[in-house]
Amino acid sequence: MAIFLQSLLSGILVGGVYALIGIGLTIIFGVMRVINFAHGDLLMLGMYVTWGLFALFNIDPYLSLLITAPVLFLWGVLLQKVFINRVLNALPQNQILLTIGMGLVMSNAIMLAFTSDYRILTTSYTSSAFQVFGLSVSQPLLYSFLITVAITGALFWFLQNTDTGQAIRATAQDRDAAQLMGINVKRMSVLAFGLGTAMAGIAGALLAPTYYIFPQVGGPFTLKAFVVVVLGGMGSIVGATLGGILIGVTESLSAVYVASGLKELVVYVLFLLILLFRPAGLLGKSRT
Amino acid sequence: MRLASLLLSTVAAAALALPGLAGAAPVKIGFINTITGAEAPIGETMTNGLELALEDLKKQGVDVKVIRQDDTGKPDKAISAIEQLATGDEVTAIVGPYTSACANAVAKQAEQYGVPQVIPAASKEEITRQGYKWVFRVNAPANVYAKALIDAALAFGKPKSVAFIYESTDFGSSLSKVGKEYAVAKGLTVVADEAYQKGSPDYRSTLSKVKGQNPDLVFMVSYVADAILLMRQSRELGLKPQAFLGGGAGFDTAQFEGEKDISTNVFSVTQWTPDSSKASMEFAARYQAKFGKRPTYHAACTYTSMMVVGAAVKKGGADRAKVREALATDTWQTIMGEVKFEAYDGYNNQNHNAMPVIQYQAGKSVTVFPAKVATAKAVYPFPGWK
Repeated sequence: MAIFLQSLLSGILVGGVYALIGIGLTIIFGVMRVINFAHGDLLMLGMYVTWGLFALFNIDPYLSLLITAPVLFLWGVLLQKVFINRVLNALPQNQILLTIGMGLVMSNAIMLAFTSDYRILTTSYTSSAFQVFGLSVSQPLLYSFLITVAITGALFWFLQNTDTGQAIRATAQDRDAAQLMGINVKRMSVLAFGLGTAMAGIAGALLAPTYYIFPQVGGPFTLKAFVVVVLGGMGSIVGATLGGILIGVTESLSAVYVASGLKELVVYVLFLLILLFRPAGLLGKSRT
Repeated sequence: MRLASLLLSTVAAAALALPGLAGAAPVKIGFINTITGAEAPIGETMTNGLELALEDLKKQGVDVKVIRQDDTGKPDKAISAIEQLATGDEVTAIVGPYTSACANAVAKQAEQYGVPQVIPAASKEEITRQGYKWVFRVNAPANVYAKALIDAALAFGKPKSVAFIYESTDFGSSLSKVGKEYAVAKGLTVVADEAYQKGSPDYRSTLSKVKGQNPDLVFMVSYVADAILLMRQSRELGLKPQAFLGGGAGFDTAQFEGEKDISTNVFSVTQWTPDSSKASMEFAARYQAKFGKRPTYHAACTYTSMMVVGAAVKKGGADRAKVREALATDTWQTIMGEVKFEAYDGYNNQNHNAMPVIQYQAGKSVTVFPAKVATAKAVYPFPGWK
């Protein structure tokens, strides 16, 4: 029983970070219908910013979010204005090629600058844990989870209750209608890509103290983000949150009850099953 | 960049040497290594080892030109690398690749093309057990790793059970397979056998399962980063066996050594230690001065492999068959002791290399087993997390 609860807990905590990665991707897709294959590389940039701030100025990785998030937001804005904006009406495969290319340029530029060495952040709490009812709760994971919850909550409130947030949602629902209603859809796209990039950056920063940092770290996370988003329903923030936690828990439990080496397999089988019965994802609406 | 300058310097050297050695072009040696990708940090130490060997070969007047290929840690890339080297560049011999999976894939091709291959640090047993004529291995194979660690643990205390946690790669599975067999033969009970997919951010569930079994020994086999991650999460969960045994690779890097919180009192096994001989100490000092890091066994193994190939080339020139002949019959005194490729226990062209067991004590690795080479006393059982 202790093992079950322990792995359920780790699964939920790790799932929180997966959710955050998924939310960034889903916002970008929702507003622009662009599938961002550079998402994992944006996360990698977030990790490097965090690592740089820590190594140079000894800023705590969680505190450095206050710098990492705006920096990545601006980077996202720049990418959108210079590159993504030009292919908004292009064929989907062209958009995909562009984002894959951007990802490759980013990861290789970082490799050129920082070599492919693994960077490891070590803080005083890196491998510490709280003991609660005989369960050990990883300190860095718990902090990451709480920050994820706060940021997801704030983002949700922003999208529901502010004018800009509603404009973003309107653009996501119907770009043409939103434009007819006088919404500056170009600006909304820039905002959405910035937000999505910032989310990826935050996820990177949150992973930095518990994971390791190297230029190619993004690839597996891009893949994971897709599974999370497609599982939850493309464009749905609540869906991405749910998808993230579901995948975290599935991985964790299947490592215990199936086999550590097969946890990915279990995740993808579950993924296929859900898509078989709900092709639009858990909370997705089919857009036909 | 480095490649370009190397090329330039070899061209310049060749031009200068022209009057003396009319038409004697430098002998081409292929070097397949993991320059990018997840194992790149280890690949870098291997490149460094090779650089030092090239300096020394130059001093000895052995004129070689190294052609480098990156396998990114993937066997398919390694295969295209050797095809290019064997048929396009027509190299005389090949050093590398690093990982077991790549080295094994390349060995098959080397045999087929008839190119002598010297493997510095890949440990999958099968590589030199397939009766290949052209494949030579400097480092000790996986069974030596496992045997050394388990023997050490049995010498220090009376463990009854052991848990295996290893990545599901050629290296991880072959090392833990022989580890399990040897543990059972020595009367230990294997209470957990967990293969994991590398690159996951969370091994806590696997580790809590292992913790539930309460093993006396935890035997882990991982590359660079997972070694640190596994130990961090073991600390979080309070996993506390009598000893943590790390099977080389990721447990024998400068980075792991630097993470004092988690590396202290962990055992590992190594192909080479800097304090093993006078020549080794000199090599370590030179390496430290040039690259600003402690050399790992990977660097020493690559250095040795390149020196051995250099010696064979000195004797056999650019002729593949003659170089193979020299590799198969000669003996060399190196920083890894005496190197000789022999046939024994089903192995072919395999160097006998003893593997000492090290332990991290206060942020430094010290040799603790076997007793005759030990430089410090082992801390056993594991005193608990700080």
